[in-house]
Amino acid sequence: MKKNKSMLLIAWLLVLPALVIRGFTIIYPIFATFKISFYKVSLLRGINEFVGLQNYLDVFKDPKVLTAIQFTFIFVVVSMLLHIIFGVILALILNMDFKGRRFLRTIVLIPWAMPMVVIGMAAKWGFNNDYGLVNDFIRRFFANFELSWLIHTNTARFAVIAMDVWKDLPFFAILVLAGLQFIPNELYEAARVDGATKVQAFLKITLPLIMKNILILSIPFTMWRLASFDIVYAMTSGGPGSDTELIAYRITTEVFTNLNLGYGATLAVLLFIAMLIFSSLNLYVANKK
Amino acid sequence: MKKNNYLLILVSITLLLFGLSFSISAADYDLTLYSILTTDPDFSDWLNDVETATGLKINVIAAPTNSDTRQQKVTTILSSGDSSIDILELNDEMASSFKNSGWLAPLQAQVLTADILKYFPDGYVSDMITSRQGDIIGVPGYSGYLAFWVDQQKLDKYGFDSIDNKEDFIAFAKAASVDGNYGYGGSWERTYVFNEIATFVNLFGGDYFDWTNPANKEAIQFMYDMVHKWQVTPIEQLADKYEQLNQKFIDGKYAMIFMWGTGAEYRAANRYGQDQIHMAMMPEFKTRSIFTDSWSYVLNSASKNKEAAYKFLRYVAGEQGMLSAWDNFDRFPARSDVAKEIPENEITKMYQRYSEECIVRGRPMAPQTMEFITQMGTIFQQAMQDKITIDEFCQQAQSFVEQYK
Repeated sequence: MKKNKSMLLIAWLLVLPALVIRGFTIIYPIFATFKISFYKVSLLRGINEFVGLQNYLDVFKDPKVLTAIQFTFIFVVVSMLLHIIFGVILALILNMDFKGRRFLRTIVLIPWAMPMVVIGMAAKWGFNNDYGLVNDFIRRFFANFELSWLIHTNTARFAVIAMDVWKDLPFFAILVLAGLQFIPNELYEAARVDGATKVQAFLKITLPLIMKNILILSIPFTMWRLASFDIVYAMTSGGPGSDTELIAYRITTEVFTNLNLGYGATLAVLLFIAMLIFSSLNLYVANKK
Repeated sequence: MKKNNYLLILVSITLLLFGLSFSISAADYDLTLYSILTTDPDFSDWLNDVETATGLKINVIAAPTNSDTRQQKVTTILSSGDSSIDILELNDEMASSFKNSGWLAPLQAQVLTADILKYFPDGYVSDMITSRQGDIIGVPGYSGYLAFWVDQQKLDKYGFDSIDNKEDFIAFAKAASVDGNYGYGGSWERTYVFNEIATFVNLFGGDYFDWTNPANKEAIQFMYDMVHKWQVTPIEQLADKYEQLNQKFIDGKYAMIFMWGTGAEYRAANRYGQDQIHMAMMPEFKTRSIFTDSWSYVLNSASKNKEAAYKFLRYVAGEQGMLSAWDNFDRFPARSDVAKEIPENEITKMYQRYSEECIVRGRPMAPQTMEFITQMGTIFQQAMQDKITIDEFCQQAQSFVEQYK
């Protein structure tokens, strides 16, 4: 009994550094951020005063934040829809039996393995009207095509979403593929015997069986999109104007560039709450399924 | 129990080694320099010059090349009281932001004493690197200009000898805007366009901090007309930073631009020369104004190696240090006495003319510099895209001036 207690103590001692580090790096910053969000803190102006809920009220009057919220919503919804639609299609292709399937499964992950900042910087050139490979490709079909993707609101937003999907879609597809491989072949054989078409088999067997998989996968993928800032940082710097600013990019700018720590913390708290609500909702739906 | 003892000993040894590794790495160097110049091919030669002359062993940390990232890292280092970096290089934007923060040590007593200070440009020192308390917080590493660059091949092709005034500027821009090329090129990404807005405001005789001044409106209208009325510059440059601008200039897409530096990019591309791309005299619109800038070496207040840092700073502020920067980085000496010593070439001649014939100004900076610059860049882009009118731009610009100045 004594020996067990002593072993338990040693175990706690060994775990303690990890707990302390976790406490300092996760719990303390969360509380500190909540606290700072009630202050007006500006390092450059030497201001540090309690303002109550003022920062929270200011958020909803700030056109830059409202634009960022709007684009974040568009970015998350469109990007996730494309991830799900094309991710499932790609997973189905990768699940087919054909020569070179292993090779394809390997190379398809290359974009995912690249850092987002590198992709963003390359995309800045890629969508350039004069030097970009995107327009170069289009001009092979439409010789006089001219478009500066990154200077118009809609095309810049499209380009940002396209690059995000291009990067993370393969990873999403590989994870869906893992789900597909758990579906027993016998189900498809039985369906075929019963006269089901391939589309019917997909809708009645495949989709229901991978739906929970997709919902679970959607949680981290949506979280990553909500907290995403590097693609915009490297590719558009939030421009044209502030039309491609994501909320996480806005937080970074407020905190690290403008040094408005209180206001930046307020935005971070609101994003945290939004993420908490979303993930709870998603988990609830997934568990129901 | 024996096992437990072994475990405790193992943990203790690990912690001891961990601590030792810190103290060893800290003791290896006399000071740590956070530099923007590490990608220059001659950086190691310059570092060798410094170490030989001062006897210091310098640890160099490369600063990010992206301006936003750099500003964020420097801000984090200084504001957190991080003492692991002693000397940093700051541009005018950061120097203006941080000079009153107390994060930078004053240098007038140890480095920029009166006998040395008299050789540095007065206006620049007082406007950019002197705090409200009168402390000088930086040693200018060089003197630079936002110079006017032209492509001589295009000047010859369209029959222009020089661009002397606004009329020449417009006529040349129009003449060179053919075959998908443009007469004027800019980098109008929202944090970069600040330099050009301020340059045109200066050329039109305006005041960047007074947007009720009709000359300011005239300058913005001129930039708008270049895009929409005369079509001598492309709207797509709203996404361009300096790398895109320089590449297009090198490729012959543009005929004239405003640019910092002494043309290293054009030399690297074999496009530099009096018959190709070269620096030219600023045109005179209503005034013949030009911006000067510098990157200054500053001392982190939290530094624990202040004596070594002073030694380093005295070297870079001295004649030998200025000459080494010129030899290795083509950085024109900030000290007037040293500038006279360097062999004459087309750059030094033009810099001499700029200082004599132009109104030389420091750039207009507010304490919250980057926020102010970004706000102005954002509404400028909106004006160029017809999302707001020029009048609305001026109204909003004035409100930003009142908010940030």
